[in-house]
Amino acid sequence: MSHATDRHSGGGRHVPPPPNAAPSAGNPAAAGAVVEGVDQILKRETHSSRATASIIAAVLVIALCVYALLETAVRAVGQPPWLVDPQTAAEQAVALPDGVPPLLLGVVGAVLVMAGLFFFLNAVLPGRRARHVVPDRRAAVVVDDEVIASALARRARLAANVSQEQVMVTVSRQQVEVNVRPTSGVPLSPNAVLAAVTDELREMELTPAPEARINVASSGVIGA
Amino acid sequence: MNGTPRTLNRILIGILGFKLLAIGVLLILLATVPAVAAWWQDWAPGVWNIWRDLFERTRLPGRPESWVWIVVVLLLLLVIGAMVAWVAQQGKGRVNVLVSEDDPGEVPGNVRIGSGVAEQALRAALADRPDLAGVTVATYEFRGEPALRIRIQPRHGVAPHRLAAEASALVEALDAALGKRTLVLIHIASGARSRFGREERVR
Repeated sequence: MSHATDRHSGGGRHVPPPPNAAPSAGNPAAAGAVVEGVDQILKRETHSSRATASIIAAVLVIALCVYALLETAVRAVGQPPWLVDPQTAAEQAVALPDGVPPLLLGVVGAVLVMAGLFFFLNAVLPGRRARHVVPDRRAAVVVDDEVIASALARRARLAANVSQEQVMVTVSRQQVEVNVRPTSGVPLSPNAVLAAVTDELREMELTPAPEARINVASSGVIGA
Repeated sequence: MNGTPRTLNRILIGILGFKLLAIGVLLILLATVPAVAAWWQDWAPGVWNIWRDLFERTRLPGRPESWVWIVVVLLLLLVIGAMVAWVAQQGKGRVNVLVSEDDPGEVPGNVRIGSGVAEQALRAALADRPDLAGVTVATYEFRGEPALRIRIQPRHGVAPHRLAAEASALVEALDAALGKRTLVLIHIASGARSRFGREERVR
């Protein structure tokens, strides 16, 4: 890894100007509006918009309505029904649970309950996304938890001096869990790894700030 | 930061979910609890009779069909139209003008800068970095103002805060070039390309 820095500094594609060159930087009113906008953007970006569930729901309702439309239109012009006449369907529904095997009725009910729970919970739960906010003086920054996990895993791997497959990091809202499998015969200091990960976390300044924990597996990996 | 109507989504999904839940629970109870079945067979025919009377009273003159069917068809068409409009609201808000302002100078007219300027400048600045798997820049309308959304997919192991600081410096350079500060969102994302790609070993 001794060659690590040369590709990083090479190129020099873009040299940003000093920050005070930005226009309207000294305008407190505009800055306040921008900060408010940034807060709103961050709130939207860390919560789900439920667009997928909405589209599924809309497609379901449309399919149901198109079928009902077909049967109703057929009925309105006095033609024989396609699958079931609306009136017969209503009479069957009134006569429930007669005419339908109870097992089938129960299964249909269970399927409807599952679908209903999916939509209802989607609407009621807060819908937080697996993302954290990173402070920045100019832009609103959100980072997927997966990216944080892979950065922390890299740091932990370098601190523990093990290979990539021996480290697994999971990041949740309030907690970072580092799982390390040491190499057999090579001592590993959990505190040093934890310190490295905590150090990296402190540099990231995530909101909400997660707490780091480390698990060192009791069995080692041979030949890594 | 797109214009998806989030409150409307929650309300409509909630209503649909609650209805499905209620129907499902009713069906399960009908199948398992005899008391509920007795209550249903006692209650439902009354409701059905009200509807049947309505159909009887509203026959079209000279024909056996009721005009209520036509009303039902129109209602269903209305619901379908509303659902299509709802789907069309999801993810909207892309715009293609970044700046549109009056020029206070002597030349009459106003200044417009297309969003392609910022999008291509940022994409070109981030294009050939070895630690990135992909960059997309798009302009959305946020509270009536254009706002930039920069989505960066780093490779495995890239420190997100350093990447954010570098992208933010690029945005400040863009501010200076355009002469206007816009709202900017930097989203450092993971995707299939960063998940299955090689690890970034330099830096």
